[in-house]
Amino acid sequence: MAAAIMPLHRPGTSLLHRTGVGTKFLLVFLFALAVSLQRENVWVVLGAWALVLLGHLAAGVGVTGLLRRLWGLRWILIILTVPQLIFLDPQTTALNVSRVVAVIMVAGLFTLTTRTTDIMTAFDRALRPLGRCGVDTSRISLALSLTIRSVPVILAFSSQIQEALRARGRRVTPKALVMPLLVMSLRHAEETAEALAARGVR
Amino acid sequence: MTPPAGPQHPTTPEASTSGSDARPYEALVAGPATASVRGVAQMAMFAALVGVLGQPFAIPLIGGVPVTLQTLGVMLAGAILGPWRGAGSMLLLHALVAAGLPLLSQGSGGLGVYAGPTAGFALGWIPAAFVIGLITQWRWPLAWWRTGLGVTLGGIGVIYLCGIPVMAHQLGLTLTQAAFASAGFLPGDAAKAVIAVGITHALIRAYPAPFTWARRR
Repeated sequence: MAAAIMPLHRPGTSLLHRTGVGTKFLLVFLFALAVSLQRENVWVVLGAWALVLLGHLAAGVGVTGLLRRLWGLRWILIILTVPQLIFLDPQTTALNVSRVVAVIMVAGLFTLTTRTTDIMTAFDRALRPLGRCGVDTSRISLALSLTIRSVPVILAFSSQIQEALRARGRRVTPKALVMPLLVMSLRHAEETAEALAARGVR
Repeated sequence: MTPPAGPQHPTTPEASTSGSDARPYEALVAGPATASVRGVAQMAMFAALVGVLGQPFAIPLIGGVPVTLQTLGVMLAGAILGPWRGAGSMLLLHALVAAGLPLLSQGSGGLGVYAGPTAGFALGWIPAAFVIGLITQWRWPLAWWRTGLGVTLGGIGVIYLCGIPVMAHQLGLTLTQAAFASAGFLPGDAAKAVIAVGITHALIRAYPAPFTWARRR
């Protein structure tokens, strides 16, 4: 069985959920900019964390949701902390790490409270000026939805190959996994192209 | 795809009127897929493939250490699809990650990725795939040394060139310190470059259809 990929969006009806995609994106961008301009200021970092806490409460995920997201960031935390502890003193490290994690968490709030389909619609709208310059934007939308469609297909290929390797008592090495995965996926792309052509997509 | 010629090949009546093409009936009616449609399908597929290679259950353990194969996927995207389609597939992947799909390593995704210390490495995949494709598919047939040069310069050089400054900025380190900090990933990336060259040249024998950019030149 192929495990499904779950979108990071959490459904809800809070104020954050109801704010428009463009507004929310702009707010996150301005927040990230402000924090990175005031990077040495302890109060800015504390304020950012207050905003993270408030945002998670407002989004309806609560403190447990916040802690679960922090746990999801554990690898990033290691990548952030270890090199800094080697080169910098502990106080600067603590300030840096908490600042970066706060920005990641606020940006994550955008993802948590915005439906993927809404973001895709916003993409389409943002691409519209390109259409006036002669770019075929329907091609881009087609490519995006084809990618979403291809993910479960390739996941299924991947688990099929891994099962076959185990059944033959072989170890799952990168080459043994990727080579057949590539051939199966490229064949699938060819079939998709032919199916699209059969439906009149030129 | 070369249609097998020969009158002894049994085909449907519709097919036999239009020559000895053994394609399925629907494909004959609508005509074969154009290069543009095929390109879109290949880019979408590669974007999805690199996303899948980052998922926890698609990651093999090597000596007990989990190895993400995403950069291997990036190298292959450039080497197989050529510069434009390779870079295009990485752009697609990033659009979907920004839209909230967890397609980066260990199932991470969303806008938060671009605020993190590894954002430069991930965004570097776009120019990396372009450089890899440009060097690898410079001429047909592909040469081993050129593929090796492409995946090393593009898949390691360009990615580190994009990643290290962002990491240094995020962590408040100097460029040299950040370079030292990311040097730990170098052995793994070198191994992936070797595997990428092997897979690319094995694919030329097994399934040469996608290498269109090199052959058009």
